[in-house]
Amino acid sequence: MEKDLRGETFSVCPICLKCVPAERIRVGGAVFLRKRCESHGPVQSVIWRGHADFDAWIGGAEAAPNEKLHCTDCSGLCPDHLQKTCCVLLEVTKRCNLACRFCFADHARQEEPPFAQVQSWLRELADPGKTLVQLSGGEPTLRDDLPDIIAAAKEAGCRHVQLNTNGIRLSADRTYLRALSDAGLSFVFMQFDGTTDAIYESLRGKPLLGVKRQAIENCAAENLGVTLVPTLVPDVNMRNIGEILCFGISEAPAVRGVHFQPVSYFGRFPAMPADDMRVTLDELLFEIEQQTAGQIRAVNLLPSRCDHPLCGFHGDFMVARDGVLVPLSQRGKTGAGCCSGPTTAEQSRAFVARRWQRPPRSAGSAPCGDFGDMETFLRRIQSHGFTVTAMAFQDAGNLDVERLRRCSLHVFDNGRFVPFCAHYLSGWRA
Amino acid sequence: MPEQRVLICQQCQKALEPRKTDFTYLGHSFFTDILTCPGCGQVFIPEELAKGRISEVEKQLEDK
Repeated sequence: MEKDLRGETFSVCPICLKCVPAERIRVGGAVFLRKRCESHGPVQSVIWRGHADFDAWIGGAEAAPNEKLHCTDCSGLCPDHLQKTCCVLLEVTKRCNLACRFCFADHARQEEPPFAQVQSWLRELADPGKTLVQLSGGEPTLRDDLPDIIAAAKEAGCRHVQLNTNGIRLSADRTYLRALSDAGLSFVFMQFDGTTDAIYESLRGKPLLGVKRQAIENCAAENLGVTLVPTLVPDVNMRNIGEILCFGISEAPAVRGVHFQPVSYFGRFPAMPADDMRVTLDELLFEIEQQTAGQIRAVNLLPSRCDHPLCGFHGDFMVARDGVLVPLSQRGKTGAGCCSGPTTAEQSRAFVARRWQRPPRSAGSAPCGDFGDMETFLRRIQSHGFTVTAMAFQDAGNLDVERLRRCSLHVFDNGRFVPFCAHYLSGWRA
Repeated sequence: MPEQRVLICQQCQKALEPRKTDFTYLGHSFFTDILTCPGCGQVFIPEELAKGRISEVEKQLEDK
């Protein structure tokens, strides 16, 4: 076992959530986060399995001078936080119409803030002309006044309004969906765990594939882009990754991409998970390439530079004729204006909005001709851009303060911007 | 009708003609018609093209 001197950081005890020193330990190509609580003893979690070179992936993500600061007390962004807000998540309800095995939200409560309260929060969180706000929950579409909330977000100056949803109501209520669109909804992030009903029965308790298909069709009718969001769980849908991607590509341009979320153990999960219950980023990269028979190569998926490289990746593609993907991004070729250093929250926000929002219908249908022709390329990328992205949330087992301090996804909680994984952090029983 | 300017190559004194011209950026190749000197092959890229469509291609290809 080899200790990595660059790997010293801080984490939390998964039992008492006290901040504790932690280090990244290498075993062959694999990397583990190991920590010890004076009261509850040592624990470790796998963070890299060795399918790719860890150091090459981390690249220039060096520790900052004041890296080892306590950043896990959920008291909002500290002065030493290293990234601005890319996206703001606002919970508009605690209610939900599913009871999923895995969820970061706490469904024990049924609270729902009144509209005036939500409107006030939106005015407070908005940076006019810039903000990308994610309306989340619970299940936000349980609110009948969601169109008013979207309109309030736009009125407050939010540039982009994203809806995080399971798609159930969008599949069944076209009038409601039309109202969301008319109010200014920009795009939809839809839970989509796989291409079989068995996967939904396992994770969500219901067969939902038909619902998902219908929701996509309805969103397409409203010209609303949909990004599919699978939660990846070992022994449930890890073998379905290629099928999910094929499905998404076949539904382009209505579907704008697939955003994978390896399972993290928040909220209701009772005990610290074993390492074989986790999905690491390098494992996901490997599976994507394997299960798409190389159509999507790992080299076309770039480590996050807006957040910490261990927090996610993104790949930029264009859908050509017959569902063939043309890769636009490649590691080592990132643009003359860029370097290997972090990107700003503004750059990241502009990128996702450019890809996830569909162009207006007035732009017309894009030709599928010779993409060497500059005009053909520009029209096609705007209409048929496709992203393959991932975000690996941290739980009490694998939380790394160095990653947390680079977080650009912030939950707005009563006037405070809180890094996502700090906001939803929950401990397990001893 | 917009004014049709005739541009002359300073070196060859020949009128520039639109010709299919190739660009390469970040490993991707594109072509479009650009005013080119039929003598020496020099091209003239107007500011509106550089700041418009070419800049848009760059933006689409550059990493976020």
